[in-house]
Amino acid sequence: MLEITNLVKKYGKGKDEKTAVDNVSLSIPKGSFFGLLGPNGAGKSTTIHCITGIAQPTSGTITIDGTDVVKDYKEARTKVGLSPQEFNVDIFATPEQLMDYMGGYYGVPAKERQERIDEMIERFDLQDHRHMKFQKLSGGLKRRAMLGRALIHTPDLLILDEPTAGVDVEQRHDLWEYLKEMNERGKTIILTSHYLEEIQYLCKDIAIINHGRIVAQGTKESFMKDGKSVEDAYLAITREDNKKS
Amino acid sequence: MNGIGLYTMIRREVQRTFRVVVQTLIAPVISAALYIFIFGTVIGSKIDSIAGVPYISFVFPGVLMLSIINASFSSASSSLYFMRFTRGLEEILIAPFSYLEMIFGFVAGSIARSLMVAFLILITGLFFGAVTLVNPIAFILYVSAIAAIFSMLGLIVALWAESFEQLTVLNTFVITPLTYLGGIFYSITMLPEVAQTITLWNPFFYFADGIRSSMIGVSEADTTFGAFLIIGLVVGLASLVNHLFKIGWKIRS
Repeated sequence: MLEITNLVKKYGKGKDEKTAVDNVSLSIPKGSFFGLLGPNGAGKSTTIHCITGIAQPTSGTITIDGTDVVKDYKEARTKVGLSPQEFNVDIFATPEQLMDYMGGYYGVPAKERQERIDEMIERFDLQDHRHMKFQKLSGGLKRRAMLGRALIHTPDLLILDEPTAGVDVEQRHDLWEYLKEMNERGKTIILTSHYLEEIQYLCKDIAIINHGRIVAQGTKESFMKDGKSVEDAYLAITREDNKKS
Repeated sequence: MNGIGLYTMIRREVQRTFRVVVQTLIAPVISAALYIFIFGTVIGSKIDSIAGVPYISFVFPGVLMLSIINASFSSASSSLYFMRFTRGLEEILIAPFSYLEMIFGFVAGSIARSLMVAFLILITGLFFGAVTLVNPIAFILYVSAIAAIFSMLGLIVALWAESFEQLTVLNTFVITPLTYLGGIFYSITMLPEVAQTITLWNPFFYFADGIRSSMIGVSEADTTFGAFLIIGLVVGLASLVNHLFKIGWKIRS
C-alpha cells in the first residue's frame, strides 16, 4: 500500500540546514493498522507531510499503491485522507462546510457528498454543532470535525496525526471502535499518538522514529515480548537511542 | 480535470464574498457611486464632452475598472494569504488538484467576485445615465482578463507577504498610482506631449482603454496592442504563478 524508500527531508540552507527525516524506509501493507511513534520533533509529522504533499521530499521515493506521490501527485492524493495534528482549517467555516468543501475538492458528487456528510456528522456526534463556526467548537469537537473531513472521500489510506488529542475519554474509546471497524473493513490506517495505550490497543505494526531515523520497527507483539507494554518498550528504545546520539 | 473540485473552490470563494458582503460588494459600489456622482455629475456638468461623449460616459469605464482591479486583487490576495496564515491551504495542497487547477480555482473565484462587483456598478451607473455597452462580449472578456491579471498579482503578493501590512504594499505603491495615472479621469490628449508618451508605457492605460472601447466605442490607444498586452500578461503571470506553486514557494515546506 505505502512504500517509503530512503526518504530524506531537510529544512533550511547552509548553516541553518536541519535534517528532519534521515533516510527513512517503511513498507506498510494494505489493511495494516500502523503506529508511527516518536518524541516531539522526531520527524513523524514531516514524514506524513511528505506523503500527503504538504512538504516536498529532499530525496527518496514514496509510492501509494505503486503511484509516486511526487511524479503522479494528483492520482496519489485521491488515495489518502489526512487528519493533521494542527487545525489547518478556515476557522469561520462550520464542520458541515469543512466536510462539504473537502468532499468537493476530492470530486465527490453533491448527492453522495451530502450523504457522507450526514453520516460523518452522526458518526462523530456533531449534530448539534454542524452549523457552528469551527473557532467556537471545543477541542474535542474540533478533532471530531477534522476526522469527519479526513474521511469524507472514503480514502484507502487514512493518516491520523494525533487524532485524539483533546478528545474526552468516552469519545476516544468510541473513536477507537470506529477506527478498528474501518480497519477490519480493509482500510489502511497510519496513526501517530502520544497516548501509547491507544497505539497498543489499535495497531498491528509499529515503527519508532527518533532524530529523523527509524530506530525500531516490527509487529506489536515483538515490542511487547517479556510482558512489557508498548510504552515500556518505547521508553527503553528511545532512551537507548538518545544515549547513542 | 477535477471539475467538481474547481467548482467547489469557486463556490467557496463566492460564499466567502457573501460572508463579508459589506467589505466585498457594498463598499466598492458606494465608492463607485461617489466617483460617478462627483466626477461624472458634479464636475462633469462643467466639462464639455470628451472624444465626442459626455464626461460621465468617458469616466465611468475607468471607475468600473478601478473597482474590478481592487476586487480581484483583494479577493485573491486575502484568500490565499488567509489560507497560508491559518494553514487552511493544506486542504488544497493535499487534494487531487494539478497546480494549474489550483491557480484556476483561485483566479476563477476572484473573477466571479469581480463580475459581481462589475454588475452592481453597472446597475448603479444606470441610475446616473452613465452606462452604454456597445460590445458586451468584448466588455466581459476585458473585465475577465483584467480581473485575471490582478488576481494572479494578488496570488504572487499573498505568497510573498509575511504580514497583513505587506499585503497592501503593491496596491498602495504600484496599482493605485498607475491606475490613476492611466487616464481613467481624463483624455491623454489633455496631457503635455511628454506625459502622453509616458502614459503610453503605462499598461493600466490599455486596460482602461479596452473597457472604455467595449462600453462607449471610443478608444485612445492602439486596441490591438492593448489586447496583445493583456493576453501576454495573463499568459506570463499564469506561467509565473504556476512555477511558484510547482516549486511550493512559501506554501510547501
